[in-house]
Amino acid sequence: MAELIYGPSYRAYDLGPEHPFSPDRQEMALDLVAALGHDVRRIEPEPATREDILTVHDKAYVAAVEALSAGERVADAAALGLGTPDTPVFPGIDLAARSLVGGTLAGARMIAEGRASRVLQFGGGLHHAHPAKASGFCVYNDLAVAIRHLTASGLWVTYIDIDVHHGDGVQAAFYTDDKVQTISLHESGQYLFPGTGAIHELGDGMGRGLKINVPLEPFTDGESYLELFEMIVPRAVEAFGPHVLVVQAGADAHFDDPLADLALTTRDYEKLYRRILELADQATQGRVLVTLGGGYSLHAAARIWAILVLVMNGLPVPDAIPPAWAEKWAGRLGGKAAASLHDPDPAYEPLATRDEVAQRNRVVGKRLLDALAPYWF
Amino acid sequence: MLVRDIMTTAVITVAPDATLEQVCEIMHGKNIRHLPVVKGGRLVGVITDRDVHSVTSALCLTPANPKGSVRDAMTREVRTAHPLDPVEDAARTMRSLKIGCLPVLDGEALVGIITGIDLLDALLRLTGVDQPSGRVEVRMPDRPGGLARLTALIAERALNIHSILTYPEGGGRVRTVLRVSTLETRPLADALRGAGFEVVWPVEKPWRS
Repeated sequence: MAELIYGPSYRAYDLGPEHPFSPDRQEMALDLVAALGHDVRRIEPEPATREDILTVHDKAYVAAVEALSAGERVADAAALGLGTPDTPVFPGIDLAARSLVGGTLAGARMIAEGRASRVLQFGGGLHHAHPAKASGFCVYNDLAVAIRHLTASGLWVTYIDIDVHHGDGVQAAFYTDDKVQTISLHESGQYLFPGTGAIHELGDGMGRGLKINVPLEPFTDGESYLELFEMIVPRAVEAFGPHVLVVQAGADAHFDDPLADLALTTRDYEKLYRRILELADQATQGRVLVTLGGGYSLHAAARIWAILVLVMNGLPVPDAIPPAWAEKWAGRLGGKAAASLHDPDPAYEPLATRDEVAQRNRVVGKRLLDALAPYWF
Repeated sequence: MLVRDIMTTAVITVAPDATLEQVCEIMHGKNIRHLPVVKGGRLVGVITDRDVHSVTSALCLTPANPKGSVRDAMTREVRTAHPLDPVEDAARTMRSLKIGCLPVLDGEALVGIITGIDLLDALLRLTGVDQPSGRVEVRMPDRPGGLARLTALIAERALNIHSILTYPEGGGRVRTVLRVSTLETRPLADALRGAGFEVVWPVEKPWRS
């Protein structure tokens, strides 16, 4: 049903043993799908070329990444966001980052050339990389390169970002572009990195009204999240009329994520994935390119992305996880029980602030609709 | 931050013998509410939309007519600012007198104007986000060295502080809001708690993980 893109070269984008953006996350998820008895075919992509990268990134920035990658010193590296605690550099980082871009770009090509309609790039999603700056674990913006290829092929793109952090790099790359609609749902920048993604960021020039941000209160649960998704996303997609959806499916809005504060469960993710695929069926004849993204509770991310593979392939989502998988990855699961694919229901005690949070999100959603209405009607 | 950093320099003025009608037209046309009144290159008053409303209101005993002159409606004793005044001085003057603007004078010359709106812009700049960063909020006793210890801990982790806002919270405590160049504010918060700081944001999660 879905084409899955993944190559061993992805493992090279490894920012260190203590770094949260670990390539083990994908490996654990794929291993879990295999443990559930599914032999999902993988397409191994080629790395993107320098020219591909330059469709989005500045020359001087790419030159700096290449120099650092070759072990040379770059005087203003930190000003470019490179070699920081969040985004460290290592020998070969240029090729490693291009490998991830290559996967997302391969997915875009398959869709643009009509060779596939539903593609899952099992990596990438580096939505914080800006045209001239690395940020938040991201060096090259695979999503922006892929979207650039799609629009160059004549396809209008709606980008949906469900990572818990604002998709600032993708928004910046297309802020004035009238062929790209970006929609990011995230924990409010008032509280969480990168700080942007307020409702008044609507795009500029020809792109005005096409950049949409849904900032959510800390501790937003799945019910309120899905309510806001329904309130904004289907209307936005309908108003724009894209040919293809590109989705950054970060898993860090899960309640167990160590770097953020939303409170979704695996069940909420399953609903969200099904809803996005439904939207693609309704609006883009099923054309959808999905990437991974953030997700720093390995216990949560592995299960959420395994569910993503199952849902995108129309496979049943069972409950039990074979014990062998949990044993194999025990070291990475941090002692958390992993007997079932879904979180227990309920996954946590209801939050005292639940109604207040939902109410506040509703008000923000309504303000956003008010701001967008002049562009839609 | 100084008055000259936030003032509007292209000041629109009127003469004392201009009519109220003309003032109204300028205010509506330019969407502004305050006009310095200038005669012979010198500031002689300020006229606001409220002044115009007051003298032309039907509730006024002897309402001025549209051809009435600015001279009869303007405020003559004008409080002004200097370009090198700190913004907070200007804000305090405007707040205590409950007035909406200060013409900015450099000697005799009118070089700018600041209004309540400029002060709101300044607030947005002070609290805004212009670099990717996460928020950390700490409550500290108002004693020497607290902030130094806090920033040293952040520097030890090689993190950049993009902005920092500190205000007294009452009860001998200060609240410090930082925007730090990292996605990993939770691990940073844990480290700060470990070092004895009271971290207000990010809060600890209400469930065990």
